[in-house]
Amino acid sequence: MTAIAERFTGPLATPKRVGVAGVLLGIAAFWIALPPVHERSLVVPALLAAVGVAAGIYAAAKGSVRAGWGAIVIGALGVALAYLATRSSVDNLQIVFTWSSLIAAMFVFATPLVYGSLGGIFSERSGVVNIGIEGMMLMGAFWGIWGADVTGSWITGVLIGMAAGALMGLIHAFLSIQLRADQIIGGVAINLLALGITGYAFVQIYGDENISAGVSEIPRLNLSFLDSVPPDSLGNFLYGAFGRLSVMIWIGFVLVVVTHFVLFKTPIGLRLRACGEHPRAADTVGISVYGVRYAAVTLSGALAAAGGAFLSVGVISSFNENMTGGRGFIALAAVIFGNWRPFGAFGAACLFGFSAALAFRLGNAYSGSVPGLDVVAQTLPYVITLIVVAGVIGKSIPPAAVGKPYTKQ
Amino acid sequence: MRAVESPLMSDAPTVLEMRGITKQFPSVLANDDVSFDLVRGEVHALLGENGAGKSTLMNILYGLYKPDAGEIRIGGKPVSFGSAKDAIASGLGMVHQHFMLIPVMTVAENIVLASEPTQAAGALLDYNAARAQVRDLALQFGFGIDPDAKIEDISVGQQQRVEILKALYRRADILILDEPTAVLTPQEASELFSILRNLQREGMSIIFISHKLNEVLEIADRITVLRRGRAIDTVPREGATEEGLARLMVGREVLLRVDKPPATPGEVVLELDDVHVRDDRELEKVRGVSLQVRAGEIVGIAGVDGNGQTELVEAISGLRKRESGRIVIGGRETALHAGVRSMLESGVGHIPEDRHRYGLVLDFTLAENAALHDFRYRPDSRFGWLFPRVLAARTQRLLKEFDVRGGNPQTKARTLSGGNQQKLVAAREVDRDPRVLIAAQPTRGLDVGAIEYLHRRLVEERDRGRAILLISLELEEVLSLSDRILVMYEGEIVAEHAFGTTEEDIGVEMLGGQREAVA
Amino acid sequence: MNEIADRPPPEEEEPTTSAGRLMLRQKAGGIIPPVLTAIFAFFMGGVVIAISGHNPLSAYAGILDGAGVNWFWDHFGNTSVLDLTTFNLTQTLLRTTTFIFTGLAVAFAFRCGLFNIGGQGQYTMGLVVGIWVGAYWGNSLPNGLHVVIGVTLAALAGAIWAGIAGLLKAFVGAHEVITTIMLNWIAYWFASYCFGQGGPLQNTTPGQESNPISDSVYQKSNAIIPVLWGNEGLQALHYGIFLAIAALVVFWIVLNRTTLGYEVRAVGFNPEAAAYGGISVKKNFFLAMAISGLFAGLAAGTDIFGWKYSAGVLDVQASTVGFAGIAVALLGRSTAVGVGLAAFVFAGLDYGTTRGLDPNVFEPTLAGNLSLMIQGLVVLFVGADLLILYLWSLRKKRFATPRMSGKGV
Repeated sequence: MTAIAERFTGPLATPKRVGVAGVLLGIAAFWIALPPVHERSLVVPALLAAVGVAAGIYAAAKGSVRAGWGAIVIGALGVALAYLATRSSVDNLQIVFTWSSLIAAMFVFATPLVYGSLGGIFSERSGVVNIGIEGMMLMGAFWGIWGADVTGSWITGVLIGMAAGALMGLIHAFLSIQLRADQIIGGVAINLLALGITGYAFVQIYGDENISAGVSEIPRLNLSFLDSVPPDSLGNFLYGAFGRLSVMIWIGFVLVVVTHFVLFKTPIGLRLRACGEHPRAADTVGISVYGVRYAAVTLSGALAAAGGAFLSVGVISSFNENMTGGRGFIALAAVIFGNWRPFGAFGAACLFGFSAALAFRLGNAYSGSVPGLDVVAQTLPYVITLIVVAGVIGKSIPPAAVGKPYTKQ
Repeated sequence: MRAVESPLMSDAPTVLEMRGITKQFPSVLANDDVSFDLVRGEVHALLGENGAGKSTLMNILYGLYKPDAGEIRIGGKPVSFGSAKDAIASGLGMVHQHFMLIPVMTVAENIVLASEPTQAAGALLDYNAARAQVRDLALQFGFGIDPDAKIEDISVGQQQRVEILKALYRRADILILDEPTAVLTPQEASELFSILRNLQREGMSIIFISHKLNEVLEIADRITVLRRGRAIDTVPREGATEEGLARLMVGREVLLRVDKPPATPGEVVLELDDVHVRDDRELEKVRGVSLQVRAGEIVGIAGVDGNGQTELVEAISGLRKRESGRIVIGGRETALHAGVRSMLESGVGHIPEDRHRYGLVLDFTLAENAALHDFRYRPDSRFGWLFPRVLAARTQRLLKEFDVRGGNPQTKARTLSGGNQQKLVAAREVDRDPRVLIAAQPTRGLDVGAIEYLHRRLVEERDRGRAILLISLELEEVLSLSDRILVMYEGEIVAEHAFGTTEEDIGVEMLGGQREAVA
Repeated sequence: MNEIADRPPPEEEEPTTSAGRLMLRQKAGGIIPPVLTAIFAFFMGGVVIAISGHNPLSAYAGILDGAGVNWFWDHFGNTSVLDLTTFNLTQTLLRTTTFIFTGLAVAFAFRCGLFNIGGQGQYTMGLVVGIWVGAYWGNSLPNGLHVVIGVTLAALAGAIWAGIAGLLKAFVGAHEVITTIMLNWIAYWFASYCFGQGGPLQNTTPGQESNPISDSVYQKSNAIIPVLWGNEGLQALHYGIFLAIAALVVFWIVLNRTTLGYEVRAVGFNPEAAAYGGISVKKNFFLAMAISGLFAGLAAGTDIFGWKYSAGVLDVQASTVGFAGIAVALLGRSTAVGVGLAAFVFAGLDYGTTRGLDPNVFEPTLAGNLSLMIQGLVVLFVGADLLILYLWSLRKKRFATPRMSGKGV
């Protein structure tokens, strides 16, 4: 069979590409069962998935193990999900899969992850592991909304939140760089501390009441011109997806580009990366490794906190204890998945955001028929993160000196 | 060919002076009132064995350490460096023994790092300018280099050139080279020497740190010998001899070659037949090696690091699975996918090249370390239950037999000196009575006393009938210990010699060339 | 890249694993640094209390009272649980049992060089299985056997949950911090589903359908661990504490007297040398995680069958025993004796700041968060080993004699 396949594919089709094509076919098998295509019969999805799985087997046999197995798994998943989709009512599918609002929701869920992962990239690229992003995000979430409440302005609120995060970052930097403490334990400590501090402060300041409604919110950027883009359906889609996103989401997009530029096109970025790859080499050409790392880790705290502030000030307009719910760790997974590159991490964050948005809607739509589904659906982002981390880890190459304390003699 | 006269002329300016430098580390006095000076245009060698204080002295000069006492003058003016940046600004450039290069970045990026050419008021990195500058600089001094190549993809000799270019880019006029030939073949070392002579011609003054007597005699104009932190003497090249320098280095008569009786080899104990091994990056590192080692002989493998020796040793000891080929030990063939345990049981003993990585668990006690291979068998344990007293008794015996000093069975291995740690590892391996003993870099980083002991011990084991496979980057060690010498280049055995061969014969083969027929 | 030229000579290298670094630094001082660390952490907690306007001394006195620690000097010999102090002490000891187990769950993995942050999730899965066996298997089994099976299966649930992370680490190299945290959140939502409305383990009491809590083991099968001190049904100290102490002993024996322990420690200090000794690093990663999870599951099992008897969504979502285990293990330096003592300290802190605390003295919700902060501080100082570093450097300066050896150049 491989001989036949080889004849069909030419030299352009490396095993890896075939595997990737298989993955795409598996996704397509599921996708066509959804709106707007609404394929109701299982035949076409099954065919697509079968070809995808075959491609996967070929790829795996030819040595591209990851892509090959990925295609096989996604092909099987795709046809199974397509089956579920064909069984459920068109209406329900419409509710869940209104693509434009799904995408808008994806961005909302993804943005804290985007900020967090950008922070993680700066920290890790300079050589310091930052497991404490979760705690820094939480600090930003609480102090951000406290600041907005107290000063009446969302801008100062967010800035105060970022300052709180930067402070945590500074502490983490001091522990990891000056004291050469174990960076992972330090990160865990920061998370515990943040949990305790924000909980304590929340109870102390707000007691039994919640934060008053009417706290200054982050405004949205209304791009109504998108609605008038012809044809009508495209305009609707664009407006639904991009037309009413929060200002901080757009800032996030900009930050991704800026981060990429700074890291790879400026001298500062070169020096920062040098500190993460080979700090002694950087030291011997006169770069202050300690200084660069301090700056990077503090910045990562500020960025992570901004993500948290977006969560509280921009989305929920309130605070709950431990409201970040593991997002900081998902942001870290996004960093790894994105190979420590801003655009890669952004893509990963969108993937996780998508899964969270989907879980939310699935839960809402189907909780009538399947009790408790909305609760179980909450596990989806974490499961996906787990799968991604498991599948991608071997391939990714972190900065060579990350996690190892540097001793300047 | 010497184009430059010996600069020991009375009117040649002194560009660098170090007076009374003293540096104390927590457990060792690295430099004890050392004085050193450098004349313009000379190559001044700093000679001493491992631990003599050469690197410390130069690190102080380069601003990486602060001296406890003493002063440094450059061009007559006293200077005090807070960091490498200050040293660089004063015209010093250093090529470190362990390269300070970033593997994933390009040659140009490494060279311009921290002094980058920029556009847009310093915000944007001007990579084109960097590339051009690097190319011009390389041409000026006569060596070709590709600015866009990644460090991890170029050869070691070329990497060293990048290090030199780094110094030149920053307008150094004093160049410090720390053990530069440690990683080069004799051929590459010659090329380096001609580059150094070029630099000398252009007015550079060079400090050359080494522990290799023959090289120092070839390149240096003056030689300063350090021993145990003290500067013993400074001699001109004329009149200096290897024996004389060795005596200065060590303080007593040193046996430069091991005295050993001729070998009486017996039957074949280890046989490799067309073995292929891949490394972690799926590159084939061992490409069809066949060799035999008999009982009662030492077979040495000479070669520059990176030609597959490491992977070969890993395959024989089971740390790495081989792709194909047979390995036969004591007449019995080993399985293709045999792991460490089964290779050990087949009769392989292995003194690993990195004792801290493979040989010892530093935070374990000596007794626990001695049991590393055998802890799961009787009499060390039974049904999973350990017997500490058995371990301790055996360890005590080994410590005595191999003269391992610094602790008892309950001491943590970390506290022992390098030499004693290595002796412990050797003790453990030899005590298991392996059919074939592989010694990989057995004396790396050890002091002369420990080296002498291990060399003597290896010969003793050979005379007891053991088969020994020696792999070392120190050509001298291989040549003096081995009964037969194999040369390994790019994963293949390219030549075989008998005991008595010299470095010149082998040097070219180590780089893949053919030895010319002797007229 | 040239390996030999790249790596500095052996003398300069620090241990490569965190377990190794921690062990190296442990050499100074024995028990004094942990004690000092704890004192310092409590001191910082006192500063926080003072900043927020309360009296630290009375707050701590209240916490000590709440923990029942004053039993030792005020009420010694009183065994009647009608006396409040005595009751408080039994409650502290009750929690000590749990914390010993969750502390061991972190300590054992740490000895193998692994960070098991997943104790909370492993505990949660143990809760689910324990409730299932205890309350939903009917009453046909003899009580003693029922308890044994229940506790064992709960332990196994924890072992399997941790084993997933262990397998991922062993085969794919996935970092256990991220995977265990993801597993924590998956367990969180899964258990919330199980005990929540419409869930499979929700209670079957008529009229209680809106109560998201399970059936009670006490009522359904009466399979409970016998009481040691106190009144049955009034949250008495049960014999499980002996199981906990036995677990400490087993922990020590396994690590120091068995070949398994030898392998685990070797991998924890130096995986490459361990591999060279023929030890399978992968197998030990898996086993260390699984055994750690086993301990966490035991915590859940003894809790269910010893005093909780039932579990609800609120228990799952509010519980922090797994995280406390991290602080316990770190303060106790991952040793048997250390974990035992540290467990008592944190148990006292936990109970003394919640149920045991007189609200007039100090608000319990505040105190709960304070306890989290102190945990974080302990982890911080232990991770930073501030005191160890300081004491160690003092020692080195005092005993250093100039030696002309071959080292350090």
